[in-house]
Amino acid sequence: MTTVLLIVHGMLAVALLGAVTHQTISVLAPGRKTADSFVGRMRGVSAPSYVSVIIFLYVATAILGGIIYAEYRIAVRVVLEQLDLWKANGAFELKEHFVALGLGMLPAYWCFWRQPLGEGDARARAVITATFAFIVWWSFLVGHILNNIRGFGS
Amino acid sequence: MTRPRSFHSSAVVFTVVYSVTYLIAVQNNYALFTYHPALEEFGPLVQPPRDGPAMYWYGWIATAAIVALVAAVLARFMPGGLAQRLWSGWSWAVPIASMVVFSYMLSGFFTR
Repeated sequence: MTTVLLIVHGMLAVALLGAVTHQTISVLAPGRKTADSFVGRMRGVSAPSYVSVIIFLYVATAILGGIIYAEYRIAVRVVLEQLDLWKANGAFELKEHFVALGLGMLPAYWCFWRQPLGEGDARARAVITATFAFIVWWSFLVGHILNNIRGFGS
Repeated sequence: MTRPRSFHSSAVVFTVVYSVTYLIAVQNNYALFTYHPALEEFGPLVQPPRDGPAMYWYGWIATAAIVALVAAVLARFMPGGLAQRLWSGWSWAVPIASMVVFSYMLSGFFTR
């Protein structure tokens, strides 16, 4: 069961990674809507349309991660400690705290994407979005590396 | 749809208070509840490990969320002028500062 949840968790994380990356690029380096190149089209996406799906995916991924975290705590972390893999262990500790802080940023993230913005609010929206992208990328990469070290069922 | 500034202020206050409370909760272990994964049991507040590790992460999040929710509700009653002056940048500055503090707190994992 944990393996199934882990796979679903990973699939949701991939979708979230794509959505938040598109939104971050489009808000930090906006491009023309009619661009021809791959990068240009990526910069030209409609960033506001990603908000609801990013919030849903972030919460859903975090909940699934929270469920399988218990199994990780029993079956994986102990092994990391026995193998002296402190960097991997520390990277996961950072992941859990970054994800938790991201949960607390969701109301502000939603708010800044949903209302007409002042000048300072536009900067806040861009930085919050970029912070979410960092948290999601960090979490994805750390989860991927740890799964390579000690996947469930191995 | 345009939302009132008080809603905006509540969202900023929630994020700021949540980030600070979560940091304090982790530092001082103020978990609202404890989970014992080996036993698949929850217990109120902070409990020592029983037949395996004790997990406080869920409890820290719950503590931070409740405190932040109360603060956000109270923020709705802030005078209009104060709400207008609330810098929206707190919503990213405080969480990022918290992330830096956590990185420092956990730096021992990367230097041993």
